[in-house]
Amino acid sequence: MATTVAAPPRYAVPHTRYERGLWSWLATVDHKKIGQLYLYTAITFFLIGGLEALIIREQLKGPNGSLVSAETYNQLFTMHGTTMIFLVIMPLGAAFFNYLIPLQIGARDVAFPRLNAFSYWVFLLGALFMNAGWLFGAAPDGGWFAYTPLTTHQFSPGLNIDFWVIGLQILGLSSLAAGFNFITTIINLRAPGMHFMRMPIFTWMSFVTQFLLVLAFPIITVAVTFLMLDRFFGTNFYTITAGADPLLWQHLFWLFGHPEVYILILPAFGLVSEVLPVFSRKPLFGYPVMVYSGILIGFLGFGVWAHHMFAVGMGPIADSVFGVTTMLIAIPTGVKIFNWLATMHGGSLRFTTAMLFAIGLIALFTIGGISGIMHSSPPADLQQTDTYFIVAHFHYVLFGGSMMGIFAGTYFFFPKITGRLLDERLGKIHFWLTFIGMNLTFFPMHFMGLNGMPRRIYQYQANQGWDIENLVATWGARILAVAVLVFIWNFIKSRRSGAIAGPDPWGAATAEWSLPSPPPEYNYAVIPTITSRYPLWDVTSPELTADVPHTPQGEKRTDISVGGKGTHASIRTPSDTRMAGEMAHPSAKELGITMPTPTLKPLVASVGLTIMFIGLILKHSVNYSSLWLPVLIGGAAFFVISLYSWLLSPLEPEHH
Amino acid sequence: MTSHYRTRRLAIAALTAVIFAGLAACSTTVPNTTLEPRTDFGRAIDQLWDNLLFWGTIVFVLVETLLIYVILRFRRREGQPAPRHVHGNTTLEIAWTLAPAVILAIIAVPTVKTIFDTQRPAPANALTVEVIGHQWWWEFRYPEYGVVTANELYLPVGRTANFALQTQDVLHSFWVPQLGGKRDLITNRTNHIWFTPESTAVWNGVCVEYCGTSHANMRFKTFVVTAEQFEAWVNHQKSGPAMAASAPAATGAQTDTSATRPAAQTQTPPAAAEPAQASAPSVPPAQTSGQLPTYPADRLPLYAASYNPVPEELTIGNVVGDAARGAQIYRTAPCIACHVIQGVSAGIVGPNLTHLGSRTSLGAGLFPNDARHLALWIKNSPAMKPGSKMPAFGKSAAMPAGYDDQQLADLAAYLLSLK
Repeated sequence: MATTVAAPPRYAVPHTRYERGLWSWLATVDHKKIGQLYLYTAITFFLIGGLEALIIREQLKGPNGSLVSAETYNQLFTMHGTTMIFLVIMPLGAAFFNYLIPLQIGARDVAFPRLNAFSYWVFLLGALFMNAGWLFGAAPDGGWFAYTPLTTHQFSPGLNIDFWVIGLQILGLSSLAAGFNFITTIINLRAPGMHFMRMPIFTWMSFVTQFLLVLAFPIITVAVTFLMLDRFFGTNFYTITAGADPLLWQHLFWLFGHPEVYILILPAFGLVSEVLPVFSRKPLFGYPVMVYSGILIGFLGFGVWAHHMFAVGMGPIADSVFGVTTMLIAIPTGVKIFNWLATMHGGSLRFTTAMLFAIGLIALFTIGGISGIMHSSPPADLQQTDTYFIVAHFHYVLFGGSMMGIFAGTYFFFPKITGRLLDERLGKIHFWLTFIGMNLTFFPMHFMGLNGMPRRIYQYQANQGWDIENLVATWGARILAVAVLVFIWNFIKSRRSGAIAGPDPWGAATAEWSLPSPPPEYNYAVIPTITSRYPLWDVTSPELTADVPHTPQGEKRTDISVGGKGTHASIRTPSDTRMAGEMAHPSAKELGITMPTPTLKPLVASVGLTIMFIGLILKHSVNYSSLWLPVLIGGAAFFVISLYSWLLSPLEPEHH
Repeated sequence: MTSHYRTRRLAIAALTAVIFAGLAACSTTVPNTTLEPRTDFGRAIDQLWDNLLFWGTIVFVLVETLLIYVILRFRRREGQPAPRHVHGNTTLEIAWTLAPAVILAIIAVPTVKTIFDTQRPAPANALTVEVIGHQWWWEFRYPEYGVVTANELYLPVGRTANFALQTQDVLHSFWVPQLGGKRDLITNRTNHIWFTPESTAVWNGVCVEYCGTSHANMRFKTFVVTAEQFEAWVNHQKSGPAMAASAPAATGAQTDTSATRPAAQTQTPPAAAEPAQASAPSVPPAQTSGQLPTYPADRLPLYAASYNPVPEELTIGNVVGDAARGAQIYRTAPCIACHVIQGVSAGIVGPNLTHLGSRTSLGAGLFPNDARHLALWIKNSPAMKPGSKMPAFGKSAAMPAGYDDQQLADLAAYLLSLK
């Protein structure tokens, strides 16, 4: 199973400036490097969003907290939500999509590598744009849901909402481009034998997620464009004095916003579904049902949006319909929980940190699911909505679900990404601090909510029956902060000096673990032929896949090899074995594999796009408003020219 | 071996967290609880909640028990044979698809029934109350009686109140936890919610839809009173402003009400402290505390009292205001552009002040309604309530023509005399 090696593999010496140092990151079109960029960026924003949360909890530690002003508090909760959703959990998902999907389906890269780089740079610049408001003391303050008319120019004349509106536009472009890219990749670049029903479950959940992205983001793009036109050009989509109906925004926002919840949770479900079988040494229980339930969750996710609006007075029929469709979603979700339990049942469980986080997801997401059912009942929701009960609910879903799943995936895939294992001892400290801190922070919020504490209040009076719960929650947040520091320390330390992982440290089942860690630029020297859902177990542990469907011809042998050894020994050049046990891998050029050329053009185009939007926001600035049109047109021209230049340059070097 | 201890630690940690949180919930009184409803509407919701909590608890215990069992039973041991290869079981999977479906049906049927029951049109004899949301205060109108007031809602016990909800600006949401669910105030629409209060009491109400800077400071009080008390209150509100010859109050006399209020409250007679308990609080008969049919501020239960701290930099000298002088000032003051005092001024932007002196709190439930706080409020309202739409009127470097402390005290004395 695990191959013992002394150091991560070395690859051929870089030849051009685009292959080393900073340039190699700026010009990369390699899905693995882009995945890492997403990962590091998202972790950075996780620290920022976490700091915002910590300030919020310190403010609410006791009655009449005065750490921050009302204005600052409103900016903090707006940016905490916006950051955690758009700049942390979504890009963490994107990090795993990027890194894993091509590896899992046996491809050399994504379908559109340069578009992939463009997606990342647009995301990064959008994220910086969104946060730029802090520098001007005008961070967004309309809530992550930005309900109109509060966010219209009449009630929010400052730049705050402008930063949010434009930032979200930019981020939406990134998500859309990435979504189309991954759909194309998964449909077209699967290795021979990788039927849809043999795809690793993470790739499946990602596939569903991409459809949610490309269907949901256009809706918010339209909603935000209306708001942008209102704010900058005086249209009247949301202008109440012109008779606008505020429910237009709410319907559009939640028609995006609820599928967004599944965009945040399905990748985590996928990660956990990879981790649990490996550490139970059993195939995933009910693979087809896990796939179908994922699809069903995605499908139903578009039919429940108005359960965010039970208090707006939609009338009994709409309330009933959306209440019942919401309850229906619990069925495929429950099936997933039970199938995970059945996967573990009868297994041989190994409690690595990744496994602990995966189990943590089952334990905690269940709580979030149950409280979700509690407000799927519209009359009951009228007592719960906009209180801390909801805050408790969605933190159990997004922290107890998404983040736990992402941590499980991080501990599991870190060795594949870096060639080194995360420290297990620090990992377990991280897990237990997270588990305890998370429950101390968010469980008391159920009681706060049921005891009448509204959301989004920067102060509360004493003697309301909320003091102790708030104090406990603040202590929980402090413990969570320590947990995050332990994780960061583990990440940095293990990246430098963690134990060498080898290709397959966990005894995993899927194709990516046959590659060296980290994999070479071209991933697979020879594209593998896939014979079952667990191609690597077919080689390493055939007894585990005995009753898993294989290729009908009875062909159980796979030509996947572990660590480059095995059936493809001929492709290894033994020229670079200076260190004992070190495995050398030839470059793409030596193997005759054509890889896309690194290029700065996607980065340049994304800068042009951002300048264009900076031009727009200048329109509302005090000192530079006269410059807005030249900057906007200049940025747009810059964008178009760089896009043109990008499209005219070939993806790959000329074939000789 | 170590993994065995770890799994046990998992169970203990989870249990500790739950117990800790549970204790936290029990060790304090909960004056704003949603779980002790005082209306028909609230009880209908509460029955659904009990149902949801029952099934939720069963699912929670089932899943977490299974999880803990699997963790303890199937951890990897030395020399253990390879696990049996099971990659699915159709019967089981159908079973755990159908079981939740049945539970959900059990929840869905009463849910839909309750939705239709509680959203019927209100009974014909209901008391209509128009609720108008403003950034960041509440206007209450009783069209049946021609009464307009702010931030303090009076309801007769046993008579259905039908609320017509509107907003002047952004979205708000109307909520008194003990009286039932909330309903949003939607611009350019009129929403409705109705219920019948079943016991007399004082309850806190809040805005629960984020509405900007002082969303947290948009509170109100609900006084559920007997039919006779309500009638007396209506008659009093309908009458013009009665300048009561109350004893002049010094702006410094009730020093630091904000700081001393909780302490003072604990020494008040049990009659006032009692409503802080979870049992049904009762409203003291208005007649026992003077002639006014309004709720006496000094008898407010602790949870309904307003005692937020005033910023330290906002101060006022200890001066005694004169109501007659205050009335003179008011006639030409900028106040009249925004506020109604029946027969005196006709502004409509701010709260109606006709009976300001009979209210218990200032600034939508933020401060006690006394001479010091009112004078400070006129001096610099935005400093006391972030984003307040009422400008600062006190004399300052930025506003040399503003009122000095004596004038502020006079104005406060006048307004407080409007019982």
